[in-house]
Amino acid sequence: MIQITKKLTGKKYWRSLDQYYQTTEFQDWLNKEFPTQAQEMIDEPSRRNVLKLMAASFALGGLTACRRPVEHILPYSRGVENLIHGKPLFYNTVMSLGGSATGLTARTYEGRPTKIEGNPDHPASLGATRGYHQASVLSLYDPGRMPNVRGDGKDSDWNGFTSYVQTLSGSLGNGAGLRFLSEPMNSPSFTAVKKHALTRFPAAKWVEYSPIHTTATAQPVAPRIAFDKAAVVVALDSDFLGLDDTTVVAVKEFVRGGRKVTDENPLMNRLYAVEPQFSVTGAAADHRFRMKSSEIAGFAGALLSAVQSQELKVVGQGNSSADKALSAIAKDLAANRGKSVVVAGPRQSGAVHQIVHQINQALGNVGPVVTYLKPASDQTRPQLDALKELAGEMANGQVNTLVITAWNPAFNAPADLEFEANLKKVANVIYLAQDLDETAMASKWAIPAAHYLESWGDAVAFDGTASIQQPTIQPLHGGKTAAELVAFVSGYKDLKAYDIVRNHWLPVVGGEKAWKKALHDGVIRPAAAVAGSAAPVFDTATPAPPTGGYEVIFVPSWSVFDGRFVNNAWLQETPDPMTKLTWDNAALVSQATARKLAVAMGDVIAIERNGRKVEGAVMIQPGLADDTIVIPVGYGRTKVGQVGEGAGFNAYKIRTSDTFGYGGGFNVSKTGRVYPLARTQEFEYQEEPKLVGFQEDVVRPIVREGTIEEFKKNPHFATEMVEHPPLKSLYGDYDYSKGQQWAMAIDLNACVGCNACMVACVAENNIGVVGKEQVARGREMHWIRMDRYYTGPVDEPQVVTAPIPCMQCETAPCENVCPVAATVHSPEGLNDMVYNRCVGTRYCSNNCPYKVRRFNFLNWHINEAEVTKMVYNPEVTVRMRGVMEKCTYCVQRIQNAKIDAKVEGRRWLKDGEVTPACAQACPSDAIVFGNVNDLESRVAKMKVSPRNYGMLAELNTKPRTTYLAKLRNPNPELQPVTAAEEHHG
Amino acid sequence: MVVKHTNSPALKEKSVYGVVAEFDRPEALVAAGHQIHHGLGYKKIDALTPFPIHGIDDAIGVPRSILGYIVFGFGLFGLLNAIFMIWYTNGYDYPLVIGGKPLFAWEFSIPPMFELTILFSAFAAVFGMFALNGLPKFYHPIFEMEGWERATDDRYMLVIEASDPKFDIEQTPRVLSELGALRTEVIAK
Amino acid sequence: MADLAIKDPHVTPVLVEGNPSLHEVTNDVAQIVEGINRNVPVQWYIALAITGSITLLLFAMLGYLVATGIGVWGNNQPVGWAWDITNFVFWIGIGHAGTLISAILFLFRQKWRTSINRFAEAMTLFAVACALIYPLFHTGRPWRAAYWLLPLPNTHLWVWPNFRSPLVWDVFAVSTYATVSALFWYVGLVPDLATMRDRATGLAQKIYGALSLGWRGSARHWRNYEMAYLILAGLSTPLVLSVHSVVSFDFATSVLPGWHTTIFPPYFVAGAIFSGFAMVVTLMVIARWAFQIEHLVTIKHLENMNKIMLATGTIVGYAYATEFFIAWYSGNPYERFVFINRAFGPYAWAYWTMISCNVISPQFFWFKKLRTSVAFMFVLSIFVNIGMWFERFVIIASSLHRDFLPSSWGYFVPTWVDILTFLGTFGLFLTLFLFFVRFLPMIAVSEVKGMMAHQQMHHDAHGHAAKDGAKTHDASPGLTPVTGGGH
Repeated sequence: MIQITKKLTGKKYWRSLDQYYQTTEFQDWLNKEFPTQAQEMIDEPSRRNVLKLMAASFALGGLTACRRPVEHILPYSRGVENLIHGKPLFYNTVMSLGGSATGLTARTYEGRPTKIEGNPDHPASLGATRGYHQASVLSLYDPGRMPNVRGDGKDSDWNGFTSYVQTLSGSLGNGAGLRFLSEPMNSPSFTAVKKHALTRFPAAKWVEYSPIHTTATAQPVAPRIAFDKAAVVVALDSDFLGLDDTTVVAVKEFVRGGRKVTDENPLMNRLYAVEPQFSVTGAAADHRFRMKSSEIAGFAGALLSAVQSQELKVVGQGNSSADKALSAIAKDLAANRGKSVVVAGPRQSGAVHQIVHQINQALGNVGPVVTYLKPASDQTRPQLDALKELAGEMANGQVNTLVITAWNPAFNAPADLEFEANLKKVANVIYLAQDLDETAMASKWAIPAAHYLESWGDAVAFDGTASIQQPTIQPLHGGKTAAELVAFVSGYKDLKAYDIVRNHWLPVVGGEKAWKKALHDGVIRPAAAVAGSAAPVFDTATPAPPTGGYEVIFVPSWSVFDGRFVNNAWLQETPDPMTKLTWDNAALVSQATARKLAVAMGDVIAIERNGRKVEGAVMIQPGLADDTIVIPVGYGRTKVGQVGEGAGFNAYKIRTSDTFGYGGGFNVSKTGRVYPLARTQEFEYQEEPKLVGFQEDVVRPIVREGTIEEFKKNPHFATEMVEHPPLKSLYGDYDYSKGQQWAMAIDLNACVGCNACMVACVAENNIGVVGKEQVARGREMHWIRMDRYYTGPVDEPQVVTAPIPCMQCETAPCENVCPVAATVHSPEGLNDMVYNRCVGTRYCSNNCPYKVRRFNFLNWHINEAEVTKMVYNPEVTVRMRGVMEKCTYCVQRIQNAKIDAKVEGRRWLKDGEVTPACAQACPSDAIVFGNVNDLESRVAKMKVSPRNYGMLAELNTKPRTTYLAKLRNPNPELQPVTAAEEHHG
Repeated sequence: MVVKHTNSPALKEKSVYGVVAEFDRPEALVAAGHQIHHGLGYKKIDALTPFPIHGIDDAIGVPRSILGYIVFGFGLFGLLNAIFMIWYTNGYDYPLVIGGKPLFAWEFSIPPMFELTILFSAFAAVFGMFALNGLPKFYHPIFEMEGWERATDDRYMLVIEASDPKFDIEQTPRVLSELGALRTEVIAK
Repeated sequence: MADLAIKDPHVTPVLVEGNPSLHEVTNDVAQIVEGINRNVPVQWYIALAITGSITLLLFAMLGYLVATGIGVWGNNQPVGWAWDITNFVFWIGIGHAGTLISAILFLFRQKWRTSINRFAEAMTLFAVACALIYPLFHTGRPWRAAYWLLPLPNTHLWVWPNFRSPLVWDVFAVSTYATVSALFWYVGLVPDLATMRDRATGLAQKIYGALSLGWRGSARHWRNYEMAYLILAGLSTPLVLSVHSVVSFDFATSVLPGWHTTIFPPYFVAGAIFSGFAMVVTLMVIARWAFQIEHLVTIKHLENMNKIMLATGTIVGYAYATEFFIAWYSGNPYERFVFINRAFGPYAWAYWTMISCNVISPQFFWFKKLRTSVAFMFVLSIFVNIGMWFERFVIIASSLHRDFLPSSWGYFVPTWVDILTFLGTFGLFLTLFLFFVRFLPMIAVSEVKGMMAHQQMHHDAHGHAAKDGAKTHDASPGLTPVTGGGH
């Protein structure tokens, strides 16, 4: 990081570009083209708009090379420290999502951020990320982003807005009619701006709202659960390993605490999941019980009385399998006082959270495992109350100016608040818009929002650790940050985000040097104190949601979160970890419910309550609670860029403030229409009655699993699952004992199936996005995929997930059959693809037992916007059509590491010096990569574990990627669901 | 029995290619040929027939074909060719580790080896045959013969060339006629 | 085929009816080319217009494919090969009858082949031409596949083909087969071209003259010619067996359950002969009617071909059964599932179509009444063609779409481009055929005449032959004409 001494020259330099930036050509492109780009990705890739995009392309192309933040980085003419052409620069920054901050490291090439990694020093990242963070870099280059300032529905500019604000500020007075609506606050500098604004307008009100309640925003208190300290975890409608929180800290600690089983002394934590949906937490559970959301409260109560009573003989009042297991669970908890935890999900009411708190207290877990921290936000009352009040005020005209920095409330506010309609009643609505969305259309002024990678900001993590949000590129569309906008509206003219952040932190960290260190490290230490009260207050005032009829559960989407990523092709194409659905959401129902409704996969049903109705396609998912419909929110956007429009249906339409998390009383009816759903993993037995009889013939030792007890009895149970004749080669084997031999080991016991690896791989390797039609045809391009297998009874199934990259077989079947030697073996054991030699016979793909090879059936990049092409990793070829491609173990990273080592005069890389994108992103450290000939490397150690097995190794493929068998730790008192004999089909 | 008048001044001995006799049945042709060759000792005899007639070779002393040896030679060449090609390209010039298999092995070389052997042999058989027959040869005096077209339809011709020491422009046609030729004709060079 | 060999010469069936003179035979065949009174029937032009436009459709589809990519077909992961390779194997299979008739039946001394071998060989060449389209175009970028598959030094990376790959074996096998078949065909044509030359006038005479290389039927020439023909027959026999064996290696040498099986070579060869003869019957029934040559291509010819279809069809059925047995007997769950899935999975419809067309339908040929009924054999031969196409489709698609990892299972649906491309190859096939029957003698005249003379001789030499039938050929006095150099 550099600060230039004279800003003048720099300013001049940029001003000329700004003029260039205003070219009408460019403006036309931004304004007119993209709103009309609908359907592109949803349909088969059309080449229609490529020329239109080209029209203005080089305008941006010319800018890319030098769009660096003015305040910090010098133009090349001055020579930027550390920068060597073609070599990446890394900047630490932070991203906030759903009120949680995750520290990140952005990799930039010539001033273009191209890849996001976790910041190992950040408490909420510890080096790992979620798919959202990985894909956020694509959103930066989304051609559908808000291109320019809009006023009164017409294109305008910042000057127009300035003059408008000048006239407006006169009328604001003490701010009686002024309201602010923001995302949940976790930014100290923004909070400072907020304070300023509220002191200037004492009568104004500030409302925070996020449609997805995460643990950071669910209650007035922020429970901090150290999962690594819990031997027994009971999750009540909680997806703590999944989307309860957008950070990865829970996964990291849960896995580290009890899923990384060592061979010497196999210890494992035990997870009970009681849930209506089938979350990844349920998939990881040792015992999973399906239960309607509305019954969770009762179950929690019973559990409380069970653990409180001495002889844990209490049984639940229901007769579900969970209630039968209740006393066993209670015993298990009681046996682990002080090292167990019960956790409830954010969809559950404050009352439930209070019961859970009491259970934890009774078990003495509060303190050792559970602590309560001060939330980052200083907001005291439940969000929904504040939002309801705001909507009411808007409805009866008490609001004349509304400044919205929250994302798209017109789309995602509870339906009963009629937010979109009420916006029209407000004279002056100023909205900080990501793209020209529903709210932007309903606002008087829409200001382009700056992406976190192009603007200054800050965010504080759950434990009080603050990070500076460092930009890596000039705002592509002259966007503003929330703090900038609020400061501007409240009369602080020309206060730039940089100054806001710097002015706030310089005194705190104490001086320029510390400030630079903070920027460099990506974290500010020491963390602010966040210790909360041991006796927290829960929001018990809010009544429990209605019951009866069909229960609908509103869950965040793995792809679009709350809808803000709907225009992000990487996430749209990444299949949901459990349903494997892409490009759409669906109404997920259990088998029994589907039978009751007489619907099949893809049938469109109408879900209605109090006159609010939405129609969506049904998807049958085994293991859901009956009479429950699980709907991922955020789809069905009407105003959105070229990628996401038309995807799925809008669940917010039926999500009212009383059914915010879930709610009963919904009526469901069949419409008779059918909607095609594109899944990446199609085959389900229940869909093929004729084959069910032959199920044993597809019972395959692919994902191998056993209980911890079986493992103790017979550590080699996994390898012994397959009997095969001695694996002899006709010619004898090639000698790989010399040099560095790359290999990968994947611990299935650690993997939670969160998809982060898939998105990371897409980002690192410029993998093409094919769109819904092509996914339905089976042409998705993911180099690493997440296989999901059900096991056990169809009603009470268990799920295992397995990441499947290329196995880099030593005797690779794909290589033998390639007629032109386009896929050959490297001396370091990599199965290389030679793109420019490949003629595209697809024989290799046919002969790959793992089907990890991907073929460019069409040119997937042909209709990509030029601005989107800025996201490409220059280290990796963009493949043309007719070329086969596949996982390379991120060979470009290996080569770079080898070059660096050579510079240092080493020929042998240190363990961990190379990490493929998937392994780096993995929140559970399930994927380990290294040199097997280095006996000290982690991968070599994993390879000698008795749990280590090669998938389909009986074919004598000698895979370099091997797996550590999955283990479950069932409660002996409860019937173990899985046995080693039972494999997965 | 038609004997065409041949001792016209236009047709001098040295300008004569030979005499041709036309038969209507293969058996007659063979019998005549046998008599001419073995009986009368003519050497330069040829038979022109619409389809091959066995026995005629021995009757007029046509030697056995040597084509087989040529084909064998080329077949062997094809085989060695294949072995060298596979060894040179995959084993020597650009060695690559493929599927952990050796750079060169006879096992996976068998199909190309076989096919190239066949290919070279086939070429040798066809073009060798044409070469031995001196084809293509687009002009031949015999084509001048009146009613030649029936030689590739349903007639059988016996030719005695003038270069035969026993050839006599007066005698030979008569002999042929006596041997049952429908007609005889002297052909100019 | 031994059961079909005609052991006893003096019971030689009448292979040419109505006992025409040699000249009449020449006329009958030549006039098809020359046209009755030298004018071409209008039907020929109509037929050409139809097949020609279908051929143009083929070129349009291939153009679209090359311009856009394989994505215009239905292929996907896991079904990387679908109609492309199905059609390739289908056409190559059809291409087997010709060489089989001209080579193997020749070595077996099957005189009846003479009336149909020219026709069947032509069919072979045209079928192979259609087949070659697919390996070239199924990459979507033929300009690369075209020469990288051949062992030519290329300025591109200087990489050579990988001789471990069955696809490279294919390149050698199929191109050798195409070349040798063409040579064989041409050699057979030369004497007849000479006949045409001697009948023709003007330009036609010059062209036929050039093509016949000045052939004049000299005894010396016949000597070498017979030797060459015999050698070619000897070479083609292992070749024709090797081609489909090598094609089957594409599948047999893979690891895919349903492909990875040692039974494939013989099973594919039998299937190829089966489909080849079916196609010959289909076309021959039309041709002999259209050109009134029923007396040259008699019911006996057709019946013999039907017998071969019966035999090979039964072999194919046996192969299907063996596959299932081995799958069950192996105890390999992947293998088992593939076959269960074939019969009961999403492609069951294709599987049962295959079974009924290939295994059940030829069994009707046990009845002489049926195998000598032209109408019946025509319909049935079409069924066999359909069945054999489905056999290839089932082997390829149903094995690929569900292999080892259920997570990557899929389903293949053809696109309109798939369908029109396949249709187009028929257009090309028939167009080439129309040109063939228009410009070249579709029956090997010199061989037929030789064969007639042979029968003639046998009737004359009846009493003599009766003494020791089998040795007649060699024992008879030096008066034994043979067809195309039979010994």
